[in-house]
Amino acid sequence: MNIINKPSWQINENEVTPQELFDKRRTFLKLGAASLVAGSSIVEALAKDNIPVPNLDYIKSKNPNGLDLNTYDQITTYNNFYEFTTSKEGVAKMAHSLDTNNWKIFVDGLVEKPLELDFDDLIKKFTLEERIYRFRCVEGWSMVVPWIGIRLKDFIEYVKPLSNAKYIQFETLLDEEIFPDQGKGIFSTINYPYVEGLRMDEAINDLTILAVGLYGSSMPKQNGAPIRLVVPWKYGFKSIKSIANISFTNKEPLNSWQRENPREYGFYANVNPNVDHPRWSQKKERVLGKFFKQKTLMYNGYEKEVAHLYKGMDLTKFI
Amino acid sequence: MKRIALFIVLLLPLACALVELFILQSVQDPIKYIYTITGASATVILFITIALSLMTKWINLIKYRRMIGLYGFFYALLHFLNFFILDAELDFSFVVKETLDKPFIYLGMIAFTILIFMAITSTKKLFKKFNRYHKLIYLALALVTIHFIMAQKSLSIPQLGYVLIILIIAYCKLIQQIVKKNSL
Repeated sequence: MNIINKPSWQINENEVTPQELFDKRRTFLKLGAASLVAGSSIVEALAKDNIPVPNLDYIKSKNPNGLDLNTYDQITTYNNFYEFTTSKEGVAKMAHSLDTNNWKIFVDGLVEKPLELDFDDLIKKFTLEERIYRFRCVEGWSMVVPWIGIRLKDFIEYVKPLSNAKYIQFETLLDEEIFPDQGKGIFSTINYPYVEGLRMDEAINDLTILAVGLYGSSMPKQNGAPIRLVVPWKYGFKSIKSIANISFTNKEPLNSWQRENPREYGFYANVNPNVDHPRWSQKKERVLGKFFKQKTLMYNGYEKEVAHLYKGMDLTKFI
Repeated sequence: MKRIALFIVLLLPLACALVELFILQSVQDPIKYIYTITGASATVILFITIALSLMTKWINLIKYRRMIGLYGFFYALLHFLNFFILDAELDFSFVVKETLDKPFIYLGMIAFTILIFMAITSTKKLFKKFNRYHKLIYLALALVTIHFIMAQKSLSIPQLGYVLIILIIAYCKLIQQIVKKNSL
Protein backbone atom coordinates (compact mmCIF):
# COMPACT_ATOMS: atom_id res chain seq x y z
CA MET A 1 0.00 0.00 0.00
CA ASN A 2 1.25 3.36 -0.93
CA ILE A 3 0.49 5.90 1.71
CA ILE A 4 1.57 9.42 1.02
CA ASN A 5 2.36 11.16 4.25
CA LYS A 6 2.48 14.81 3.56
CA PRO A 7 4.79 16.62 5.94
CA SER A 8 3.31 19.60 7.68
CA TRP A 9 5.65 22.06 6.00
CA GLN A 10 4.61 21.02 2.53
CA ILE A 11 1.82 23.34 1.46
CA ASN A 12 -0.01 23.65 -1.80
CA GLU A 13 1.45 25.81 -4.52
CA ASN A 14 -1.67 27.96 -4.63
CA GLU A 15 -1.17 28.86 -1.01
CA VAL A 16 2.22 30.35 -1.83
CA THR A 17 1.46 32.54 -4.80
CA PRO A 18 -1.03 35.30 -4.13
CA GLN A 19 -4.06 34.98 -6.38
CA GLU A 20 -3.52 38.43 -7.81
CA LEU A 21 0.00 37.69 -8.99
CA PHE A 22 -1.10 34.31 -10.28
CA ASP A 23 -3.77 36.00 -12.39
CA LYS A 24 -1.20 38.41 -13.72
CA ARG A 25 1.26 35.72 -14.82
CA ARG A 26 0.19 35.98 -18.43
CA THR A 27 0.32 39.76 -18.36
CA PHE A 28 3.85 39.50 -17.11
CA LEU A 29 4.87 37.03 -19.80
CA LYS A 30 3.14 38.99 -22.52
CA LEU A 31 4.80 42.22 -21.52
CA GLY A 32 8.12 40.44 -21.89
CA ALA A 33 7.14 38.94 -25.21
CA ALA A 34 5.66 42.18 -26.45
CA SER A 35 8.87 44.01 -25.71
CA LEU A 36 10.76 41.62 -28.00
CA VAL A 37 8.50 41.96 -31.03
CA ALA A 38 6.69 45.26 -30.72
CA GLY A 39 9.48 47.57 -29.86
CA SER A 40 9.27 49.98 -27.02
CA SER A 41 6.43 52.25 -28.13
CA ILE A 42 3.50 49.92 -27.53
CA VAL A 43 4.94 48.61 -24.28
CA GLU A 44 5.45 52.15 -23.17
CA ALA A 45 1.85 52.98 -24.05
CA LEU A 46 0.60 49.95 -22.14
CA ALA A 47 2.67 50.85 -19.13
CA LYS A 48 2.03 54.59 -19.19
CA ASP A 49 -1.74 54.53 -19.44
CA ASN A 50 -2.11 51.60 -17.05
CA ILE A 51 -3.85 49.60 -19.76
CA PRO A 52 -3.80 45.91 -18.92
CA VAL A 53 -2.29 43.69 -21.59
CA PRO A 54 -5.20 42.54 -23.79
CA ASN A 55 -6.59 39.10 -22.91
CA LEU A 56 -9.48 38.91 -25.39
CA ASP A 57 -9.57 37.77 -29.02
CA TYR A 58 -11.77 40.05 -31.05
CA ILE A 59 -12.28 41.72 -34.39
CA LYS A 60 -10.71 45.14 -34.19
CA SER A 61 -12.79 48.21 -35.00
CA LYS A 62 -11.58 50.50 -37.77
CA ASN A 63 -13.05 53.41 -35.80
CA PRO A 64 -15.22 54.52 -38.74
CA ASN A 65 -16.29 57.75 -37.05
CA GLY A 66 -12.70 58.69 -36.25
CA LEU A 67 -13.48 59.24 -32.56
CA ASP A 68 -10.86 60.30 -30.01
CA LEU A 69 -10.69 57.60 -27.35
CA ASN A 70 -10.79 58.49 -23.69
CA THR A 71 -7.94 56.93 -21.72
CA TYR A 72 -8.30 53.62 -19.90
CA ASP A 73 -7.76 55.56 -16.69
CA GLN A 74 -10.62 57.97 -17.37
CA ILE A 75 -13.00 55.19 -18.34
CA THR A 76 -12.23 53.12 -15.26
CA THR A 77 -12.10 55.79 -12.54
CA TYR A 78 -15.26 57.79 -13.25
CA ASN A 79 -18.24 55.47 -12.96
CA ASN A 80 -21.87 55.65 -11.99
CA PHE A 81 -22.56 52.39 -10.19
CA TYR A 82 -24.95 53.22 -7.33
CA GLU A 83 -24.88 49.62 -6.04
CA PHE A 84 -21.45 50.56 -4.65
CA THR A 85 -21.62 54.32 -4.04
CA THR A 86 -22.87 57.54 -5.62
CA SER A 87 -19.27 58.79 -5.72
CA LYS A 88 -18.01 58.32 -9.26
CA GLU A 89 -14.39 58.23 -8.12
CA GLY A 90 -15.30 55.87 -5.28
CA VAL A 91 -16.68 53.03 -7.40
CA ALA A 92 -13.28 51.79 -8.65
CA LYS A 93 -12.00 51.58 -5.07
CA MET A 94 -14.97 49.51 -3.89
CA ALA A 95 -15.59 47.29 -6.89
CA HIS A 96 -13.16 44.54 -5.81
CA SER A 97 -16.06 42.88 -3.98
CA LEU A 98 -17.72 42.08 -7.30
CA ASP A 99 -16.91 38.37 -7.68
CA THR A 100 -17.58 37.37 -11.27
CA ASN A 101 -16.47 33.73 -11.01
CA ASN A 102 -19.13 31.24 -12.11
CA TRP A 103 -21.36 34.09 -13.22
CA LYS A 104 -24.80 32.90 -14.30
CA ILE A 105 -27.37 34.63 -16.44
CA PHE A 106 -30.99 33.55 -16.14
CA VAL A 107 -33.23 33.94 -19.15
CA ASP A 108 -37.00 33.64 -18.72
CA GLY A 109 -40.37 35.12 -19.66
CA LEU A 110 -41.56 34.73 -23.23
CA VAL A 111 -38.88 32.28 -24.41
CA GLU A 112 -39.10 28.77 -25.81
CA LYS A 113 -37.61 27.52 -22.58
CA PRO A 114 -36.09 29.29 -19.56
CA LEU A 115 -32.31 29.00 -19.48
CA GLU A 116 -29.50 29.25 -16.97
CA LEU A 117 -26.43 30.31 -18.90
CA ASP A 118 -22.85 30.14 -17.66
CA PHE A 119 -21.11 33.35 -18.66
CA ASP A 120 -17.77 31.76 -19.60
CA ASP A 121 -19.44 29.10 -21.76
CA LEU A 122 -21.79 31.63 -23.29
CA ILE A 123 -19.25 34.03 -24.74
CA LYS A 124 -17.23 31.21 -26.29
CA LYS A 125 -20.18 30.66 -28.60
CA PHE A 126 -19.95 34.13 -30.16
CA THR A 127 -17.41 36.18 -32.05
CA LEU A 128 -16.26 39.17 -30.06
CA GLU A 129 -15.96 42.47 -31.83
CA GLU A 130 -14.73 45.89 -30.88
CA ARG A 131 -17.10 48.85 -31.06
CA ILE A 132 -15.81 52.35 -30.53
CA TYR A 133 -18.81 54.34 -29.30
CA ARG A 134 -19.63 57.70 -27.82
CA PHE A 135 -21.05 57.32 -24.31
CA ARG A 136 -23.24 60.21 -23.10
CA CYS A 137 -24.46 60.41 -19.51
CA VAL A 138 -27.79 62.12 -18.79
CA GLU A 139 -25.87 64.25 -16.26
CA GLY A 140 -24.07 66.01 -19.10
CA TRP A 141 -20.65 64.34 -19.30
CA SER A 142 -19.46 62.04 -22.03
CA MET A 143 -16.59 59.84 -23.17
CA VAL A 144 -15.54 57.58 -26.03
CA VAL A 145 -15.04 53.92 -25.15
CA PRO A 146 -13.58 51.03 -27.18
CA TRP A 147 -16.01 48.35 -26.03
CA ILE A 148 -15.67 44.67 -26.86
CA GLY A 149 -18.78 42.57 -26.99
CA ILE A 150 -21.31 40.52 -28.87
CA ARG A 151 -24.28 41.77 -30.80
CA LEU A 152 -27.41 41.59 -28.65
CA LYS A 153 -29.21 40.41 -31.78
CA ASP A 154 -27.01 37.28 -31.93
CA PHE A 155 -27.67 36.60 -28.25
CA ILE A 156 -31.43 36.96 -28.75
CA GLU A 157 -31.38 34.53 -31.65
CA TYR A 158 -29.49 32.08 -29.47
CA VAL A 159 -31.98 32.13 -26.56
CA LYS A 160 -35.04 31.97 -28.86
CA PRO A 161 -37.74 34.31 -27.57
CA LEU A 162 -41.36 33.68 -28.57
CA SER A 163 -42.82 35.72 -31.39
CA ASN A 164 -45.10 37.65 -29.03
CA ALA A 165 -42.14 39.04 -27.07
CA LYS A 166 -42.13 42.81 -27.60
CA TYR A 167 -39.60 43.92 -25.01
CA ILE A 168 -36.43 42.64 -23.41
CA GLN A 169 -35.82 43.40 -19.74
CA PHE A 170 -32.48 43.25 -17.91
CA GLU A 171 -31.66 43.14 -14.20
CA THR A 172 -28.39 43.72 -12.40
CA LEU A 173 -27.34 41.07 -9.88
CA LEU A 174 -29.01 41.41 -6.47
CA ASP A 175 -26.47 40.54 -3.79
CA GLU A 176 -25.91 42.58 -0.63
CA GLU A 177 -22.55 40.88 -0.02
CA ILE A 178 -21.25 42.31 -3.28
CA PHE A 179 -23.16 45.57 -3.53
CA PRO A 180 -23.20 47.46 -0.20
CA ASP A 181 -25.92 49.95 -1.19
CA GLN A 182 -28.36 47.09 -1.76
CA GLY A 183 -28.18 46.25 1.95
CA LYS A 184 -29.11 49.68 3.28
CA GLY A 185 -32.88 49.16 3.36
CA ILE A 186 -34.78 52.45 3.31
CA PHE A 187 -31.45 54.30 3.09
CA SER A 188 -30.57 52.67 -0.21
CA THR A 189 -30.00 55.34 -2.83
CA ILE A 190 -32.44 53.76 -5.31
CA ASN A 191 -34.61 50.65 -5.45
CA TYR A 192 -32.87 47.40 -6.37
CA PRO A 193 -32.36 45.35 -8.44
CA TYR A 194 -31.55 47.88 -11.15
CA VAL A 195 -33.85 47.28 -14.11
CA GLU A 196 -33.55 48.35 -17.72
CA GLY A 197 -35.33 47.45 -20.91
CA LEU A 198 -35.48 47.89 -24.65
CA ARG A 199 -38.11 47.54 -27.29
CA MET A 200 -37.35 44.50 -29.42
CA ASP A 201 -36.49 46.55 -32.53
CA GLU A 202 -34.04 48.60 -30.44
CA ALA A 203 -32.55 45.42 -29.02
CA ILE A 204 -31.84 43.85 -32.40
CA ASN A 205 -30.44 47.04 -33.91
CA ASP A 206 -26.91 46.41 -35.10
CA LEU A 207 -25.47 49.04 -32.73
CA THR A 208 -26.75 47.36 -29.57
CA ILE A 209 -24.21 45.08 -27.89
CA LEU A 210 -23.65 43.06 -24.75
CA ALA A 211 -20.17 44.25 -23.80
CA VAL A 212 -17.74 41.94 -22.01
CA GLY A 213 -14.63 44.08 -22.16
CA LEU A 214 -12.94 47.31 -23.14
CA TYR A 215 -9.48 48.28 -24.38
CA GLY A 216 -8.90 44.63 -25.34
CA SER A 217 -9.39 43.24 -21.83
CA SER A 218 -12.20 41.71 -19.81
CA MET A 219 -14.70 44.22 -18.44
CA PRO A 220 -13.29 46.02 -15.37
CA LYS A 221 -15.49 45.44 -12.34
CA GLN A 222 -16.33 49.13 -11.92
CA ASN A 223 -17.61 49.24 -15.51
CA GLY A 224 -20.11 46.41 -14.97
CA ALA A 225 -18.24 43.11 -15.14
CA PRO A 226 -18.63 40.55 -16.49
CA ILE A 227 -21.32 41.56 -18.95
CA ARG A 228 -23.28 44.74 -19.54
CA LEU A 229 -25.51 46.35 -22.10
CA VAL A 230 -24.26 49.16 -24.37
CA VAL A 231 -26.83 51.19 -26.31
CA PRO A 232 -24.81 54.11 -27.67
CA TRP A 233 -27.67 56.36 -28.83
CA LYS A 234 -29.29 56.40 -25.39
CA TYR A 235 -28.24 58.09 -22.15
CA GLY A 236 -25.78 55.99 -20.18
CA PHE A 237 -28.26 54.81 -17.55
CA LYS A 238 -29.89 52.56 -20.16
CA SER A 239 -26.64 50.62 -20.50
CA ILE A 240 -27.21 48.38 -17.48
CA LYS A 241 -24.22 46.78 -15.73
CA SER A 242 -23.44 43.30 -14.34
CA ILE A 243 -26.46 41.60 -15.85
CA ALA A 244 -27.82 38.54 -14.02
CA ASN A 245 -31.37 38.27 -15.36
CA ILE A 246 -32.87 38.74 -18.79
CA SER A 247 -36.54 38.30 -19.54
CA PHE A 248 -38.76 38.80 -22.55
CA THR A 249 -42.14 40.45 -22.03
CA ASN A 250 -45.01 41.92 -23.97
CA LYS A 251 -45.34 45.02 -21.82
CA GLU A 252 -42.96 47.92 -21.47
CA PRO A 253 -40.57 47.31 -18.55
CA LEU A 254 -40.53 49.93 -15.79
CA ASN A 255 -36.84 50.86 -15.81
CA SER A 256 -35.19 51.98 -12.57
CA TRP A 257 -34.77 55.70 -13.22
CA GLN A 258 -38.28 56.04 -14.58
CA ARG A 259 -39.54 54.38 -11.39
CA GLU A 260 -37.46 56.79 -9.27
CA ASN A 261 -38.52 59.95 -11.07
CA PRO A 262 -40.90 59.61 -14.04
CA ARG A 263 -40.99 63.38 -14.60
CA GLU A 264 -37.27 63.45 -15.35
CA TYR A 265 -36.50 60.03 -16.83
CA GLY A 266 -38.48 57.93 -19.26
CA PHE A 267 -38.29 54.54 -20.90
CA TYR A 268 -36.63 55.71 -24.12
CA ALA A 269 -33.88 58.05 -22.83
CA ASN A 270 -32.63 58.76 -26.34
CA VAL A 271 -29.84 61.32 -26.43
CA ASN A 272 -31.51 64.49 -27.67
CA PRO A 273 -29.94 67.97 -27.51
CA ASN A 274 -33.32 69.56 -28.28
CA VAL A 275 -35.15 68.23 -25.23
CA ASP A 276 -33.75 69.51 -21.93
CA HIS A 277 -33.69 67.59 -18.72
CA PRO A 278 -36.12 69.49 -16.41
CA ARG A 279 -33.17 70.73 -14.36
CA TRP A 280 -30.46 71.30 -16.95
CA SER A 281 -29.78 71.77 -20.63
CA GLN A 282 -28.78 68.81 -22.82
CA LYS A 283 -27.49 70.93 -25.71
CA LYS A 284 -23.82 70.40 -24.92
CA GLU A 285 -21.69 67.88 -23.09
CA ARG A 286 -18.52 67.82 -21.05
CA VAL A 287 -16.04 65.34 -22.49
CA LEU A 288 -14.10 63.78 -19.62
CA GLY A 289 -10.71 65.38 -19.11
CA LYS A 290 -11.63 68.62 -20.89
CA PHE A 291 -12.43 72.13 -19.65
CA PHE A 292 -14.48 73.00 -22.71
CA LYS A 293 -17.76 71.56 -23.83
CA GLN A 294 -18.85 70.20 -27.17
CA LYS A 295 -22.22 70.06 -28.90
CA THR A 296 -24.34 67.00 -28.20
CA LEU A 297 -25.49 65.24 -31.36
CA MET A 298 -29.00 63.97 -32.07
CA TYR A 299 -29.18 60.30 -31.03
CA ASN A 300 -25.59 60.83 -29.86
CA GLY A 301 -24.40 60.87 -33.46
CA TYR A 302 -26.21 57.66 -34.51
CA GLU A 303 -29.19 59.32 -36.20
CA LYS A 304 -28.63 57.50 -39.48
CA GLU A 305 -28.78 54.12 -37.78
CA VAL A 306 -31.68 54.64 -35.35
CA ALA A 307 -33.86 57.65 -36.24
CA HIS A 308 -36.30 55.39 -38.16
CA LEU A 309 -37.13 53.55 -34.93
CA TYR A 310 -38.85 56.64 -33.54
CA LYS A 311 -40.58 57.99 -36.63
CA GLY A 312 -43.82 59.74 -35.76
CA MET A 313 -43.15 59.72 -32.02
CA ASP A 314 -43.30 62.97 -30.03
CA LEU A 315 -39.78 63.08 -28.60
CA THR A 316 -40.72 65.69 -26.01
CA LYS A 317 -43.22 63.21 -24.58
CA PHE A 318 -41.37 59.92 -24.97
CA ILE A 319 -38.30 61.01 -23.01
CA MET B 1 -3.22 86.03 14.74
CA LYS B 2 -6.73 84.58 14.68
CA ARG B 3 -7.46 86.69 11.63
CA ILE B 4 -4.49 85.34 9.68
CA ALA B 5 -5.31 81.76 10.65
CA LEU B 6 -8.90 82.23 9.51
CA PHE B 7 -7.74 83.87 6.31
CA ILE B 8 -5.61 80.82 5.48
CA VAL B 9 -8.18 78.20 6.51
CA LEU B 10 -10.83 79.86 4.37
CA LEU B 11 -8.51 79.83 1.37
CA LEU B 12 -7.87 76.07 1.69
CA PRO B 13 -10.78 74.88 -0.51
CA LEU B 14 -9.54 77.12 -3.32
CA ALA B 15 -5.96 75.94 -2.85
CA CYS B 16 -7.07 72.27 -2.91
CA ALA B 17 -9.08 72.86 -6.07
CA LEU B 18 -6.18 74.57 -7.84
CA VAL B 19 -3.78 71.77 -6.91
CA GLU B 20 -6.18 69.06 -8.11
CA LEU B 21 -7.07 70.88 -11.30
CA PHE B 22 -3.72 72.18 -12.47
CA ILE B 23 -0.90 70.42 -10.63
CA LEU B 24 -2.16 66.86 -10.13
CA GLN B 25 -4.58 67.14 -13.07
CA SER B 26 -6.56 64.35 -11.47
CA VAL B 27 -10.03 65.78 -12.15
CA GLN B 28 -12.08 63.99 -14.80
CA ASP B 29 -14.98 66.39 -15.08
CA PRO B 30 -13.57 69.85 -14.20
CA ILE B 31 -16.77 71.88 -14.58
CA LYS B 32 -18.73 69.52 -12.33
CA TYR B 33 -15.85 69.44 -9.84
CA ILE B 34 -15.67 73.25 -9.66
CA TYR B 35 -19.44 73.43 -9.08
CA THR B 36 -19.20 70.95 -6.24
CA ILE B 37 -16.20 72.42 -4.41
CA THR B 38 -17.23 76.08 -4.73
CA GLY B 39 -20.89 75.36 -3.96
CA ALA B 40 -20.07 73.27 -0.91
CA SER B 41 -17.50 75.79 0.36
CA ALA B 42 -19.89 78.74 -0.03
CA THR B 43 -22.71 76.86 1.71
CA VAL B 44 -20.60 75.68 4.64
CA ILE B 45 -18.96 79.08 5.15
CA LEU B 46 -22.28 80.96 5.02
CA PHE B 47 -23.87 78.57 7.51
CA ILE B 48 -20.87 79.14 9.77
CA THR B 49 -21.52 82.91 9.70
CA ILE B 50 -25.02 82.44 11.10
CA ALA B 51 -23.81 79.79 13.56
CA LEU B 52 -21.07 82.07 15.01
CA SER B 53 -23.47 83.57 17.55
CA LEU B 54 -24.36 80.05 18.71
CA MET B 55 -20.72 79.16 19.38
CA THR B 56 -19.60 82.22 21.36
CA LYS B 57 -19.22 80.20 24.58
CA TRP B 58 -16.91 77.82 22.79
CA ILE B 59 -15.05 80.17 20.46
CA ASN B 60 -15.82 83.83 19.80
CA LEU B 61 -15.31 84.77 16.17
CA ILE B 62 -18.11 87.33 15.91
CA LYS B 63 -15.46 89.98 15.22
CA TYR B 64 -14.57 88.20 11.99
CA ARG B 65 -18.10 87.63 10.77
CA ARG B 66 -17.77 90.11 7.92
CA MET B 67 -14.57 88.54 6.64
CA ILE B 68 -16.02 85.02 6.86
CA GLY B 69 -19.20 86.15 5.12
CA LEU B 70 -17.21 87.76 2.32
CA TYR B 71 -15.36 84.49 1.82
CA GLY B 72 -18.73 82.76 1.48
CA PHE B 73 -19.65 85.32 -1.16
CA PHE B 74 -16.28 84.79 -2.88
CA TYR B 75 -16.93 81.04 -3.32
CA ALA B 76 -20.49 81.75 -4.48
CA LEU B 77 -19.02 84.15 -7.03
CA LEU B 78 -16.62 81.46 -8.30
CA HIS B 79 -19.61 79.10 -8.49
CA PHE B 80 -21.48 81.64 -10.62
CA LEU B 81 -18.44 82.35 -12.81
CA ASN B 82 -18.08 78.61 -13.43
CA PHE B 83 -21.66 78.67 -14.71
CA PHE B 84 -21.15 81.78 -16.82
CA ILE B 85 -17.63 81.23 -18.22
CA LEU B 86 -17.04 77.48 -18.44
CA ASP B 87 -20.53 75.96 -18.47
CA ALA B 88 -22.36 78.59 -20.54
CA GLU B 89 -19.21 79.63 -22.41
CA LEU B 90 -20.03 83.32 -21.98
CA ASP B 91 -23.29 82.90 -23.89
CA PHE B 92 -25.30 85.60 -22.14
CA SER B 93 -28.64 84.71 -23.73
CA PHE B 94 -28.16 81.06 -22.69
CA VAL B 95 -27.57 82.16 -19.08
CA VAL B 96 -30.72 84.31 -19.08
CA LYS B 97 -32.82 81.61 -20.72
CA GLU B 98 -31.63 78.87 -18.36
CA THR B 99 -32.11 81.15 -15.35
CA LEU B 100 -35.71 81.92 -16.27
CA ASP B 101 -36.39 78.35 -17.36
CA LYS B 102 -35.03 76.09 -14.66
CA PRO B 103 -36.20 76.47 -11.02
CA PHE B 104 -32.99 74.83 -9.87
CA ILE B 105 -31.02 77.67 -11.46
CA TYR B 106 -33.26 80.65 -10.62
CA LEU B 107 -33.35 79.72 -6.93
CA GLY B 108 -29.56 79.77 -6.95
CA MET B 109 -29.56 83.10 -8.79
CA ILE B 110 -31.94 84.73 -6.30
CA ALA B 111 -29.69 83.58 -3.47
CA PHE B 112 -26.63 84.90 -5.30
CA THR B 113 -28.32 88.28 -5.85
CA ILE B 114 -28.95 88.54 -2.10
CA LEU B 115 -25.28 87.76 -1.47
CA ILE B 116 -24.15 90.46 -3.93
CA PHE B 117 -26.36 92.98 -2.11
CA MET B 118 -24.92 91.93 1.26
CA ALA B 119 -21.33 92.04 0.02
CA ILE B 120 -21.76 95.56 -1.37
CA THR B 121 -23.46 96.85 1.76
CA SER B 122 -20.94 95.26 4.11
CA THR B 123 -18.71 98.35 4.28
CA LYS B 124 -18.91 100.21 7.58
CA LYS B 125 -20.79 103.14 6.14
CA LEU B 126 -23.34 101.21 4.12
CA PHE B 127 -23.77 98.53 6.76
CA LYS B 128 -25.14 101.13 9.19
CA LYS B 129 -27.85 101.97 6.70
CA PHE B 130 -28.62 98.50 5.41
CA ASN B 131 -27.83 96.08 8.24
CA ARG B 132 -31.47 95.30 8.99
CA TYR B 133 -31.80 93.92 5.45
CA HIS B 134 -28.95 91.54 6.14
CA LYS B 135 -31.53 89.24 7.70
CA LEU B 136 -32.08 88.24 4.07
CA ILE B 137 -29.23 85.78 4.62
CA TYR B 138 -31.81 83.39 6.09
CA LEU B 139 -33.81 83.49 2.87
CA ALA B 140 -30.63 83.03 0.83
CA LEU B 141 -29.60 80.02 2.91
CA ALA B 142 -33.04 78.44 2.58
CA LEU B 143 -32.83 78.85 -1.20
CA VAL B 144 -29.26 77.51 -1.26
CA THR B 145 -30.40 74.41 0.61
CA ILE B 146 -33.20 73.75 -1.88
CA HIS B 147 -30.78 74.44 -4.74
CA PHE B 148 -28.33 71.92 -3.27
CA ILE B 149 -31.00 69.24 -2.84
CA MET B 150 -32.31 69.82 -6.36
CA ALA B 151 -28.80 69.43 -7.78
CA GLN B 152 -28.68 65.79 -6.63
CA LYS B 153 -29.85 62.95 -8.82
CA SER B 154 -30.94 61.17 -5.67
CA LEU B 155 -30.28 61.67 -1.98
CA SER B 156 -27.90 59.24 -0.32
CA ILE B 157 -26.78 59.03 3.31
CA PRO B 158 -24.01 61.70 3.24
CA GLN B 159 -26.31 64.21 1.61
CA LEU B 160 -29.08 63.44 4.11
CA GLY B 161 -26.42 64.08 6.77
CA TYR B 162 -25.74 67.59 5.44
CA VAL B 163 -29.46 68.33 5.36
CA LEU B 164 -29.73 67.14 8.97
CA ILE B 165 -26.88 69.46 10.06
CA ILE B 166 -28.60 72.36 8.30
CA LEU B 167 -31.87 71.58 10.10
CA ILE B 168 -30.08 71.45 13.45
CA ILE B 169 -28.50 74.88 12.84
CA ALA B 170 -31.88 76.26 11.76
CA TYR B 171 -33.51 74.83 14.89
CA CYS B 172 -30.84 76.34 17.19
CA LYS B 173 -31.20 79.73 15.50
CA LEU B 174 -34.95 79.59 15.97
CA ILE B 175 -34.61 78.79 19.67
CA GLN B 176 -32.06 81.59 20.00
CA GLN B 177 -34.45 84.09 18.44
CA ILE B 178 -37.34 82.98 20.65
CA VAL B 179 -35.23 83.29 23.80
CA LYS B 180 -34.06 86.74 22.69
CA LYS B 181 -37.60 87.96 22.07
CA ASN B 182 -38.85 86.71 25.42
CA SER B 183 -36.03 88.36 27.33
CA LEU B 184 -36.73 91.77 25.87
